[in-house]
Amino acid sequence: MQVRWLIPLGAAAASQAAFATQYLSVQQAQQQAFAGTGEFRVVPAPDAAVAAAIGAPAGWSPQIFAARAGDKTLGWLIVDQVIGKSEAITYALALDAAGAVISLEVLEYRESHGGEVRMPAWRRQFVGKTASDAAALGREIKIISGATLSCRHLTEGVQRLLRLYQTVLKAQA
Amino acid sequence: MPIFRSAPRAHALSVLPDVACSQPVSAAATRSGRGRWTFFVVALALIGSASTVAASPSTSALADLGRKIFADESLSASGRMSCATCHDPKFAHAQNNALAVQPGGANLDVPGFRAVPSLRYLNVDLPFFFAGDGTPTGGFNRDGSANTLIEQASRPFLAAHEMANGDAAGVVDKLGRASYADEFRGLFGGDVFARIDDAFLAARYALAVYEATAPELRPFSSKFDLFLKGKVKLGAQELRGFAWFNSPAKGGCAGCHPSTRASNGEPPLFTDYTYDNLGVPRNAKIPATADPDYFDFGLCGPDRSDLAARRDLCGAFKVPTLRNVATRKVVFHNGQFTSLREAIEFYVQRDTNPGKWYPLGADGAVRKFDDVPAPLARNVNTGEVPYNRRPGQAPALSELEIDDVVAFLGTLTDGYDAATDTADPARDLAQP
Amino acid sequence: MQRKPLALAILLSCAGLAPAAHADDAKLKAEVEALRAEVAELRGIVQQMQAQRAQTPASTAPAAATAVASSAPSAAVSAGAPAASIAAPQAPTTTAGQPLPGTGSSGLALGANTSLWGYGQIGYNRPTNSAGDTRADLSRAVIGFNHVFDEATRVYGEIEWEHAIASSSDQGETEVEQLYVEHTLAPNYGVRVGLVLVPLGLLNEHHEPGYFYGVERNFVETAIIPSTWREGGVAMYGNTESGFNWNVGIGTGPNLGAWDPAADEGRASPLGSIHQELQLAKARDLSMYAAANWQGLPGLQLGGGVFTGKIGQGDAALPVNRSRLVLGEAHLRWQPGPFDISALYTRGTISNTQDLNLQFLGQPTPVPKSFWGGYVQGAWRALEWGSNSSLAPFLRYEMFNTGAAYAAQPQGLGTPALPTQRVWTLGANYYLNPSVVFKIDYQKFRYEDLVLGYGNRFDLGLGYQF
Repeated sequence: MQVRWLIPLGAAAASQAAFATQYLSVQQAQQQAFAGTGEFRVVPAPDAAVAAAIGAPAGWSPQIFAARAGDKTLGWLIVDQVIGKSEAITYALALDAAGAVISLEVLEYRESHGGEVRMPAWRRQFVGKTASDAAALGREIKIISGATLSCRHLTEGVQRLLRLYQTVLKAQA
Repeated sequence: MPIFRSAPRAHALSVLPDVACSQPVSAAATRSGRGRWTFFVVALALIGSASTVAASPSTSALADLGRKIFADESLSASGRMSCATCHDPKFAHAQNNALAVQPGGANLDVPGFRAVPSLRYLNVDLPFFFAGDGTPTGGFNRDGSANTLIEQASRPFLAAHEMANGDAAGVVDKLGRASYADEFRGLFGGDVFARIDDAFLAARYALAVYEATAPELRPFSSKFDLFLKGKVKLGAQELRGFAWFNSPAKGGCAGCHPSTRASNGEPPLFTDYTYDNLGVPRNAKIPATADPDYFDFGLCGPDRSDLAARRDLCGAFKVPTLRNVATRKVVFHNGQFTSLREAIEFYVQRDTNPGKWYPLGADGAVRKFDDVPAPLARNVNTGEVPYNRRPGQAPALSELEIDDVVAFLGTLTDGYDAATDTADPARDLAQP
Repeated sequence: MQRKPLALAILLSCAGLAPAAHADDAKLKAEVEALRAEVAELRGIVQQMQAQRAQTPASTAPAAATAVASSAPSAAVSAGAPAASIAAPQAPTTTAGQPLPGTGSSGLALGANTSLWGYGQIGYNRPTNSAGDTRADLSRAVIGFNHVFDEATRVYGEIEWEHAIASSSDQGETEVEQLYVEHTLAPNYGVRVGLVLVPLGLLNEHHEPGYFYGVERNFVETAIIPSTWREGGVAMYGNTESGFNWNVGIGTGPNLGAWDPAADEGRASPLGSIHQELQLAKARDLSMYAAANWQGLPGLQLGGGVFTGKIGQGDAALPVNRSRLVLGEAHLRWQPGPFDISALYTRGTISNTQDLNLQFLGQPTPVPKSFWGGYVQGAWRALEWGSNSSLAPFLRYEMFNTGAAYAAQPQGLGTPALPTQRVWTLGANYYLNPSVVFKIDYQKFRYEDLVLGYGNRFDLGLGYQF
């Protein structure tokens, strides 16, 4: 009798078409972080020397957009990837003109494990953090048990973007 | 399937030499030798089902023939002894008298060496082997010297203290004159009796099929079986005895005589097919013991010869099934005890009161374990429940508890009748 | 994002800034600004394409094609990492993986859609009162893999070797610890089919050595919740943005017919002795489970679950088919600052064991009617070196009883409840880095451990995961 439980489950599985696990587009992330104002200019990816200096691996190539209103820099939106447990997480970090975190958004998450990093409550921990906080983030950000690797790696990703601000973007403001 | 692969031939007998030839091969191919018998059983199944194999004897035809051979007294030198003489079906296929050993030979006056085991509930798929931890296991005869029923069946036909035919020709000659000789020819070929070895093998093969498949040898018709099926309740004393039997703090009997179902899913068989050395007292009623240098060491000889060098195994005999144990007229390999209660008393009082069981030596001290020479006495099991006690300590079971265990063992007798609450193994024989 | 032909962009780029001549036209000016932004973007893309071509010639064409086709600054921007570094596996629409950030690497990409991971554990247990029982053991080595079939479908598997060598004459085991196909039905829920871990407790699903304190897994989550507990079946899982995770499943369950009343296993771990691990599992009776966790407040986890099912599996020879297992569990984990506090309670019952236990009368291990366990544990990340190394001492107190009650039997023949075991564990995890942990602890038992056959012990261990 218990077998009949399987039928709706199977039907639900069969009826679902494949879909993209994209939660936010880059534009949506831009609009959300900067409240729909400003325009976004692509900033060239840092060269290998910069990547090495901030501890990013060779070949690192984040997407960097400068948010501008006229001549004024409002901040940056940086799209980057880290590995969760075994697959890539695409995330967007928005920084204000002073280099403080406005928001952290998960754009694409591919695994089922560790998906808790998408929780707003977890991501809010980064808001307001600046490059001077980078070193301490590993300790300060609370890890979600069961999503340890995703939390840790995403935190490390934020750390390197804060260092990127310190090294490169700050001077461009 | 080598046994009957030559089906195109007119009759099955022509392949019998293949059986003999295949044995060493399959024994070598399997570490424990277990495969040989599995192979045999599979062959039986194939024989039973493969209608394409013309003239192959069916299992039931073989078993019917085997049953006749089993009961045929004319196959002995005396003309008065069959397998069933010692393995009386009415007594659960064990001896029907209280003699320690049965007389055989041409005049039925040659005494044997061991008491008769029951042939019910044999594990037909378990040749002798040493388990991973070194425990000797399986095999047929009390010393495991035969690996298959076919192999086992030779000795009773030939041994001087049993049917005393001397050699295969003597057996085959008698088979040729038996009332079922035509049936035999029909199964194995018209010229079968002209070929001594083939015919002797064929007879033992039929016996083996009978022993492996006959329902009366595995009836599972005891009160305990009905209890397991939830059809009857055990009485309060029987339940208590069951608990003492199982409990490691009491009898600990289930350690070697498991009361839970076998690994093959069959109801419990009350043996784990291993060997143990109980230090059973020497039985002077066995004539051979008149010679002070005569010892029956079981696994290490003298009957069995291949383990003679394993002195640590001297004195170990196969753990028998306890099904139908209440119908046994004598207990243990040497028939030392004639009542079940006495046997249980021996188990639990052997170490607490050795003087009750063993004679005094020349020095006036009790000669414990008097059926092995002193240096081999250390082989006797003194570590496990219920033996792990010293003189003066309380036995593992009190007198009342022994009564309980006896009552429980009574529930293992086949042929239970709920209306009268009695059991009789003869009730399982009500068939053609 | 506007979609403009690449050719037009290049043309405009070559034409320079001619439209500036109409500076007084506001509309035009805005358009120029837009075009300028686009040129900059296209320049960026061209740079990336060049970089990709330089690094991995073979993968350039498809990567570039995707980037251009979407024209979005897709997340997938850099091509494969140098061979020595560890790259992400990619979903088919992701053009390239990216090297991992810094340390804490996890997984090894094998081609575009497959990755490997693993963990292992080596331990040394020295009983204080019976040194002869001291053992050193490669407790487990596990290789996990993950293959992505398409964006929504993947297979996960873990193969485990326990005790170093597995053969018919050795004590080790080789086993498939989990193996399932997962299909995501929506961004926040999906379905798994196969051999899945039962989502009860804190340890069962997350049992890598870096995740727990102490050389050995805690007793409650091995004796009562038989980690690593897995069953075959269908599971649905999901989570919400508010931090609520759920997981429900239906599938195989334990087999009560396999209970061995003469062995110790059933007293060491009632369910551990009869779980089937999808090894020709008897599966007439289906079990169900449901578990939920709330993690809406970072650092806090509250959860619980229940597993239930009949466990007779249609065994015709034993009176087991009315028996039902219910195992419930609740847990809490709170990680304020450098502290890590957890607590768990679990209790199981097996119904209708009276008739079965009657057949086991006098045996040392009848089937319990109830069993339970609980623990509290506090750990403190006391010392840190750099951002990776840390030392975390911990203290854990466990109580558990694998035979808290037995069904009644005829007068004088029943089995009394087992005494409740109590274990203190004091020790420390030293993380050389987040992936490599050295462990040390001392365990104080109230009674000799049933399985180990001894009491207090001192343990050392090494664990890793990647």
